[in-house]
Amino acid sequence: MAVTRVEVTPKQGEGMRDVRGDVVRRQLMADHNIKVEEVRSINGFLIKSSINKSEIAERVNDLFSDPIIEDVLTDTLFLSSSEHFPTSPDAAITIGFKPGVTDNPGSAAFDGFKTIFPHHDHQIGASISTYHTYAFFGLPEEVTPEWLASTLHNNLIQRAVTADAAGCSNAQWPAIDYPEKPPQTLTPPQRMDLEISDEELLSLSETGLLALNLEEMQTIQAHYRDEAIRQSRAAVGIVADAPTDVELECLAQTWSEHCKHKIFASKIHHIDLETGEDSYVDSIFKTHIMKPTHDMQKEVDWLLSVFHDNSGVIAWNDDWSVCMKAETHNSPSALDPYGGAMTGIVGVNRDILGTGLGARPIANTDVFCFGPPNWEGDLPDNLFHPSRVFRGVHAGVRVGGNESGIPTVNGAIVFDDRYIGKPLVYCGTVGIMPRKLPDGRESHIKTPTAGDIVYMVGGRVGYDGIHGATFSSLELTEESPSSAVQIGDPITQKKMLDMVLEARDAGLISCITDNGAGGLSSSIGEMATYTDGCEIDLAKVPLKQPGLSAWEILVSESQERMTIAVKPEDCAAFDAMAQLHEVEATPVATFTNTGMFHVKYEDETVAYLSIEFLHDGVPQLQLESEWRTPTPELFTPETISLPEKAGHSNLLLRMLAQPNIASKESWVRQYDHEVIAQTVIKPFVGVERDGPGDAGVIAPIHGDPHGLVISCGIAPRYSDLDAGAMAAASIDEAVRNAVCAGINVDKMAGLDNFCWPDSIESVKTPDGKFKLAQLVRANRELERVCRAYRLPCVSGKDSMKNDYGTGEKKISIPPTLLYSVFGDQPDVRFTATSDFKNPGEKVYLVGVSKEELGASEISFMLRDSGEANGIGGQVPLLLHPEINITTYRALSTAIQSGLIQTAHDCSEGGVAVAAAEMCIGGRVGAEIDIDGTGNASVWSRLWGESLGRFLVGVQPENEAAFIKWMAGHPITMLGTVTDSENLTISDGYDVLIDVETTSMVEAWQKTLDMTGGVA
Amino acid sequence: MAAPKVAVLFGFGINCDHETAAVFNLVGGDAERVHVNNFVSGNRSLEDFEILAVPGGFSFGDHLGSGRLMGNRMRFALREQLHAFVAAGKPIIGICNGFQVLVKTGLLPGPGAQTPLPDFVQRASLTLNDSGRYEDRWVTLEFDAESPCIWTKDIQRIDCPVRHGEGKFVMPSATDFDALAANNQLTVRYVDPSTPVGKGMTDQPLPFPLSPNGSMRNIAGICDATGLVFGLMPHPEAVYAKWLHPDHTRNSAPGPLTSEALGEWEGEGLQIFRNAVEYVLGNR
Repeated sequence: MAVTRVEVTPKQGEGMRDVRGDVVRRQLMADHNIKVEEVRSINGFLIKSSINKSEIAERVNDLFSDPIIEDVLTDTLFLSSSEHFPTSPDAAITIGFKPGVTDNPGSAAFDGFKTIFPHHDHQIGASISTYHTYAFFGLPEEVTPEWLASTLHNNLIQRAVTADAAGCSNAQWPAIDYPEKPPQTLTPPQRMDLEISDEELLSLSETGLLALNLEEMQTIQAHYRDEAIRQSRAAVGIVADAPTDVELECLAQTWSEHCKHKIFASKIHHIDLETGEDSYVDSIFKTHIMKPTHDMQKEVDWLLSVFHDNSGVIAWNDDWSVCMKAETHNSPSALDPYGGAMTGIVGVNRDILGTGLGARPIANTDVFCFGPPNWEGDLPDNLFHPSRVFRGVHAGVRVGGNESGIPTVNGAIVFDDRYIGKPLVYCGTVGIMPRKLPDGRESHIKTPTAGDIVYMVGGRVGYDGIHGATFSSLELTEESPSSAVQIGDPITQKKMLDMVLEARDAGLISCITDNGAGGLSSSIGEMATYTDGCEIDLAKVPLKQPGLSAWEILVSESQERMTIAVKPEDCAAFDAMAQLHEVEATPVATFTNTGMFHVKYEDETVAYLSIEFLHDGVPQLQLESEWRTPTPELFTPETISLPEKAGHSNLLLRMLAQPNIASKESWVRQYDHEVIAQTVIKPFVGVERDGPGDAGVIAPIHGDPHGLVISCGIAPRYSDLDAGAMAAASIDEAVRNAVCAGINVDKMAGLDNFCWPDSIESVKTPDGKFKLAQLVRANRELERVCRAYRLPCVSGKDSMKNDYGTGEKKISIPPTLLYSVFGDQPDVRFTATSDFKNPGEKVYLVGVSKEELGASEISFMLRDSGEANGIGGQVPLLLHPEINITTYRALSTAIQSGLIQTAHDCSEGGVAVAAAEMCIGGRVGAEIDIDGTGNASVWSRLWGESLGRFLVGVQPENEAAFIKWMAGHPITMLGTVTDSENLTISDGYDVLIDVETTSMVEAWQKTLDMTGGVA
Repeated sequence: MAAPKVAVLFGFGINCDHETAAVFNLVGGDAERVHVNNFVSGNRSLEDFEILAVPGGFSFGDHLGSGRLMGNRMRFALREQLHAFVAAGKPIIGICNGFQVLVKTGLLPGPGAQTPLPDFVQRASLTLNDSGRYEDRWVTLEFDAESPCIWTKDIQRIDCPVRHGEGKFVMPSATDFDALAANNQLTVRYVDPSTPVGKGMTDQPLPFPLSPNGSMRNIAGICDATGLVFGLMPHPEAVYAKWLHPDHTRNSAPGPLTSEALGEWEGEGLQIFRNAVEYVLGNR
């Protein structure tokens, strides 16, 4: 079959630009300070088909090129055309995909190809692959094409061909050919001999990327020694005395840390070296997360579904329920930031689609933790520079979210050196579903029965994504496998989503779940617990390429797939719906009640495991935990010499420019945050729409002002002092952010997403006991605070192996809890934003500033600059959360009643930064006096991050009513918004800060504007 | 009188279909989301509808250029139905990706005033923003009071979000623009909000971000010579209520003082959809 090459490049001329080339030029400037005069871009298509070249050449303007803005050539390289490229470039680079990697533009082009060449014969075996060529003009001599290529592509998934100036002038163009996949050989199921030594068992687990420990391998070994099991196996014709490779892989996926959360389920021996405590915790999850939520479930009627489904569901009103889930996609994002992050966001969207009988995703949240984008130190092998991780992750989430039509309404970006070892990419999604379907079923309850037909819907299964679940249960190494990475295809998923929601409303779905980690093995395996059995035929599963072995089909994590159970009598209607939407839906299994997970390949049984052993057979881990409070060097700001007059002014500008505080607007604005026409409070607020938003507020039912609040909290650096305080601070911040938007504090729910370094003591992790003790403390605080706030955790996830390398080169992330809150906002017409509204507005502090500068942003900034010795000291504590919540309720109802329209959470950078951000949002000045805000030092009252605090603005005519409303709660009048151009902060007669608002805007916005501008 | 039936297309990555249907319903329309393939296969007929909306989204991922693949499907499969629709005097709107689709099918700007019915020849394009970035930001729009566009009657200036990466409107030559301008088809432009209302429109390119994309002559949307077919990059449906305007917590979100749909909370964008519904009712 012939391959026809079509190339397209933007027309040159007045008003026309080569924007793709410009983007590369600006990024080289922004990231590397390299100035290139011009970059031109060419898009290439390699069309493999039986249609002859001249026929394709006649239709290129109908498909590949836009005749108004682009030039096109067939079977000729643009670079070789002196008409289009009169000057020879200084370098040229062509980048294409490696064989078998998802090529979304290629599939879209093929879809369009079928529209213009509709004859079926032309489509058999045809396909289209795409590439980009960049030509560089005015390139500095020291920049080599090889280096340029390395910054422009990821060799895990792409290939690049380069030509230097000499090559270009000799017409040695960088041409790329169709990426033909090497043929796969189908390996028949193998007998895996487990009658081997312990050492060999471990070695088998390691080389096979099974990520199972010795006890788990021995449990499997013992299972196959059971005579009754051997007999039942012989009866179905599968190897009796040993697992097949299919079974071993299936067990490894199902029992992986990723899927079974073995550390959260473990029995922990906990010792506190300070208090002398010596006790056992039998499952952190059951003790500290599940039990409190179940206790709360008895007291309210709105907790519909917690923990067991793909997301937690709460009743929002009589007609609608809402659900939320957050996931992490850290390891894939480290290897391929773009693809890893994109599959993160579209993956969590599927968790929502797979909740109950199917919910519609309506809002996304994205929280990232990266190394500093301006990092100049060494980088370990195989790791990308943080700025590249940042760009890639951002692009992946942007494309995934925007193309799916789901607004990104809330998020955060956090920086710390240790995230160089493993970036954290948290993606969350909120969904909505009718309380009842037209057929009367409650939509949050799955209703499968034995005999239902199980479909695989959406994408096909390929070699991509094999071993994702087990791989994420290991630390990153230089040899991490490329097959663990996939690229998402949002449009395939969007088509599937449209179709699934129609099928739901038509009553065709009895059970649905997502295909994520562990692939069909997990999705069908988990759903089979409802009916106690299933029978799968892997030969029916549609494949991206032939030759996949049975175990690969079963565990592949290829994206964009849902597993859906349909009653036999509904299959015809379901098939018709799939056809209308051009979605592939294939029956691959049947639910049974045999108690067995029975997998066949055509007639041959390749796996035969009891549902009980598969899901409950994994032995409980027994772990050791030992707590000793860390004692880093103290932060003693009193010793720092400051200018006499308004001595903290410059510190404020520096703090505003700190990556953790600086505006993320240039990044966040690239997310669609308003699709669905429901977003009331956007990520950026104020007169110039560039002040910080505290929480996302949406009114999802068009025409109805009933709202939902979505917020988050994250404070990983507090873990340097106490991971328990870190957890409390994260929860409190999430709740405070939500309160700023007027959430109903009596109807809110939370999600706990833990990302931890390896916490199991071993040679690789000598400090495992301490890291596990951090986890114990974090969960104890989580329970204490959530009980006090009556805030049920309805869903969550943990990612427990966030380390890079071993030994001295090992990098472990700081223990990090992302806490997300979603809840009811009674009426979005009455809400608040952080921007000061007008001169004359009165400024109040709600809450009390304490002597709590430990691990504060200012301590890190001054330690990193060498002005302070350390970050140690008192970390912010939440001593009486049961009192805090009463204040939050008062403030939130004040907002709901329209008394206040200005409220801002006071967190990183304390009162000084919060006040500055409110001035930036309103483009006004303010006079603030922090005298009377507590007994703590000036530094603490100005920069401290004590929890439970807000800054609010009150219109003078509402001031009396506000004071009355807040009676009994700690509020302090701080000052007034002014029409001056300065923010001044004093402590009584001492002026601490006097800074122009315009300077604050500049400082706050410049650090993370890595766009390179628009010129 | 029965409410005008509105077909709101969806499928293949269109994603503003729910809100687009909702805003028509708020102003007395009877909107139904219809999958593109239902028209292509003949399950449903465009003839049964009085208004057609092509909503925003990322049809086919915008690969090969925004709106292009969807435009092709419509150009090849719905040619007769679309021609008959316009010939019958029925309004069509394309918003954002829908505008891109209408431009790439050739429905916009369409042939000249002498032979105004669709000939499905592409004469303009929407290409990558000069910034190279997809962005969601609010802009100020001003409308040509003399435009034949039936969708924009009596609308002077509104605030609206844009959410696109490919919104730069281009045509091959200045004379192309002059011809459209002469017929008042350059219906809506990005303007500097500090200019007096009615005086904002200019042919001189405005700086970013007043013009979010570098569009030639600051064009945000155009209509065809009949005034029935209208497309624009910004999202008027996304400001159907004042609570969606960024200034709403500052008590200064613009919009009508009162409305049947939303009382004192109607946003500035809703009038566009009401105009089409009233046009259809007025022409029955």
